Order: sequence, then C-alpha cells, then structure tokens
Amino acid sequence: MAQEQTFHFETLLIHGGLEPGPSGATTVPIVQSSSFAHETAEDLEDIFRGRKAGQIYTRLNNPTTESLERRLALLEGGVAAIATASGMAAISTAVLTILRSGDEILSSSSLFGGTYSLFRDTLANYGITSRFVDPTDLAAFEQAINENTRLIFVETIGNPKMDVPDIAALSGIARRAGIPLMVDATVTSPYLARGRDLGADIVIHSTSKFINGTGSVIGGAVIDNGTFDWGSPLFPHFEPFAKKYRQFAFSARLRKLMHKDFGACPAPMNSFLLTEGIETLGLRMERHCSNALELAGFLRNHPRVGWVNYPGLADSPFHAIAGRQFGNRYGGVLTFGVASQEESFRLINALKLARNLANIGDAKTLVIHPASTICVDYSPEQRTLLGVSDEMIRVSVGLEHHEDIIRDFSQALDSL
Amino acid sequence: MQLTVNGRPAGIEDKDSLSVTALLDELKVKDALYVTVELNGEIIDRPVFDNTVVKDGDSLEFLYFMGGGR
Ligand SMILES: Cc1ncc(COP(=O)(O)O)c(C=O)c1O
Repeated sequence: MAQEQTFHFETLLIHGGLEPGPSGATTVPIVQSSSFAHETAEDLEDIFRGRKAGQIYTRLNNPTTESLERRLALLEGGVAAIATASGMAAISTAVLTILRSGDEILSSSSLFGGTYSLFRDTLANYGITSRFVDPTDLAAFEQAINENTRLIFVETIGNPKMDVPDIAALSGIARRAGIPLMVDATVTSPYLARGRDLGADIVIHSTSKFINGTGSVIGGAVIDNGTFDWGSPLFPHFEPFAKKYRQFAFSARLRKLMHKDFGACPAPMNSFLLTEGIETLGLRMERHCSNALELAGFLRNHPRVGWVNYPGLADSPFHAIAGRQFGNRYGGVLTFGVASQEESFRLINALKLARNLANIGDAKTLVIHPASTICVDYSPEQRTLLGVSDEMIRVSVGLEHHEDIIRDFSQALDSL
Repeated sequence: MQLTVNGRPAGIEDKDSLSVTALLDELKVKDALYVTVELNGEIIDRPVFDNTVVKDGDSLEFLYFMGGGR
C-alpha cells in the first residue's frame, strides 16, 4: 500500500488496491456471496465489534466492492471510499450522514435534476432545508450561510448548466463557516481533478458515468478525504465517531448507520465491471475532452446553432477557471441551442450515430433534450435555475472518431 | 515482549519494543490502512504511528469502522 501511493494516477487506475487473485487471476474476483462464514464465534464477534477486519454480509461489505473502494480512495487521495448502488444513493447516504432535521444545505443551484429533487423535495419532508445559490457568485454563497447551515454542496461542472465554480474559493467559505464541502465530481471524474486538491472534504461520483465508461452499470461512490474535523460542536452527533475513529469519523458514521440502515449497497458484479471500466479512465477522458472540443468548435460555427456552452471554448466565461482546476481539460459534456424545442426534437430525430437517452459518460455519443426529460417535472422557473432552456440539447461526446461525430451533427443540422 | 491485543494475550518474540507501524506489520494486521489503534486506552493518531513506541506490558485495541456493530 505504501508503494501504491507513489504510483502515478494512470498506474493506480489499473493496479490501485488490486490484490493477487486466486489461481493467478489478474482481474478482481466476483465474490457473488450474500454472506461470509467464519471459523469461530469469537472471530465473528471481533469482526462485528470492529476489532478485526473481515467480511460479514454483502450489504455491509464485499471483497469485490472493497477492491473498487480501495482503488477509488487511492485515486482520490482520500482516507476511505464507500461504493453505493447508484450516484443518487451516494449523495443521499452521504448527505444524511451529516444532516439532521433542522439542518440546512447550502447548495449550488446548478445541479443534476435528481440531486435537485432530493434536496428540494425529498429532504424537505424530513425537516432538512436546502438553499440554492449560483455557485459562481461567491459573495452570495457566503451571505447565504446561516446558523443552521451544515453543508456546502456543489458540482465540479454543473450538469447540465456547464458552469464551473471556483471550488478552492468555496472551500475557503466552508472552512471559515466550520462546515464541510461536498463536491459531486461526476462530470469531471477523478482524472480531471482530485476533489481533495481543490479543497473538497467529501467527493461524490456517479460511477455510472465516466468511471464505468461503457453505459453498462449503475453505481456511485463517496470518498472521504479525512480533512474535516468532525469533533466540532456544530456536529454533536459525530462525537462518538470522532472520538473513536478520528480521521475516519465520517466514513464510520456513514458505514455504521446510513449505508447499513438504508442498504443501498452495490452488487458485486457491478463493482467488478467498475474495476474493469476504470482502468482506461485516463485514456478515455483525454478522448472525451478532445472530441468535445472538436464538436463544440464545429457547432459554434454552424448557422443553425444559436449558442454553445462548453468550458473548453476560449470565450466561455468558465474557460480560465476550468483550465486552472482541471489541467486545461474541459470534460466530455456540452450543451447547445437551436431555434426552439420543436427544432431540437427534429435535430435529435435526425441524428443517426448519437443515441437519444438519459445518460452521460458512455463510449457512445449521447444526446438528450433536458427540458422535456430529466427536468420535465419542474416549473419553467426551476428549469431556468438549473440552466435548462427549451431549445437546449445536451451532448455527452463519445469516443468515436471526431469526424464521424461531427458528420452526424452536420447532416442532422442541415436537415432542419 | 508480552502485549494484550483486543483483550487477549499476544507475545512478540525477540523484541522489547516496536513502533505502532512495525507492530501492525509484525502482527500482519489486515487492512492496516483503515485501522484505528488504541494504546493503553488512548487513541493514537495515524501520523504518529511511526514514532509511537509499544513496550512490554502494553495493551492495544484495534478498531475498524467497516464492521457491522457500532
Ligand atoms: C452530476 C450527477 N450526479 C449524480 C447523478 C446520479 O447518478 P446515478 O444516476 O448513478 O444515480 C448523475 C446522473 O445522471 C449526475 O449526472
């Protein structure tokens, strides 16, 4: 393990946390077992009491899933990672580990629709209030903190608004308020930036996206960077965990309460597929980014396209901050507008290569009309807040040859 | 030296003292990356594992947050 910490990111993607398999197997074994037997009653007691490491029951832990978790923790530079059944399970489990009734989330208004729904409606039913503020307006963010705020939540690149907050500055705001910063890094993946380096205390991934990379798995992960002091009097419910587990306080509370009790564990098969998919994350992200830049450039110059939102474009208001935070790479997702919703439907229907579906991060190029799908239940005002307009199309740019992607959009636009 | 580990006697041959890091290695403690160590009732912070010395007669508890109980 000590040696692993000196490996480069690309090497960790392949070897991080990987232990020698049975019979010399080089892939992570799929341990498809609900439960795990132990020799003696004393052994099982020790494991239950946490005196010994060991497997109990796949809802709590599983060797295949632990292999994925070790790799994610190493890649993010965190003290621990917890894999979950989906990205939404990661967010809800992590958020409920921190918050109690009466507490408030100060959230970016630029959010994935599912997260917005969780914060605005579902958590509100349990006495947790969310306040939504433009994450690029630092003064407004700072002002919105009150005596009940217990968490700041942002996305590295807002999906689908494509805005890019200054995460280090938001981290400073969280530090000054004595509260943790949770960052959903799904759109950037661990490859474009490690949340820890930007000042995030907790990092979220929907592993369904770029980490899987092939559109075959639903999964999520919570990475605990061990950077927040949970002994703070603002979090009295963490006291026993902070005392006993120190830097693992958050992971311990999450595992021993929310993850165990809500039960949103991943299936071993999905964890296996994620350990396979993640190996090529670096190579894939480079291609996603370069293809997205090519497509953004093409769309911007097309007369039927009203606007293109991609931080990789030099005149994007987020070009400088994204370049700084993400090592001059800008991700594989972009949005653009045509004349109307009706025209965007005709465009989607005319595409031959790009698939019309609700996902990002696949090897295949994907499109969706967010206003009529992911955000269909929201009012026009709420859609505006989330950065979703009627004429907008979101593209998750795949790994095909960029000329074929551009040709597809070109023929579809020309058919309008 | 003789230690008490998780409430049970544990002997370490040919050594009078060891750092916590070396002891985790010596005892082949599984998933040492995730263990919290309590030495004589006091939790030892991970950054000082290398220079915290364990001596004959000491009592240690290992704590994992991955287990089932609280
Ligand atoms: C930024 C972001 N966060 C979270 C999620 C939710 O992840 P999942 O679909 O794996 O539950 C998504 C999924 O679309 C997403 O794009």
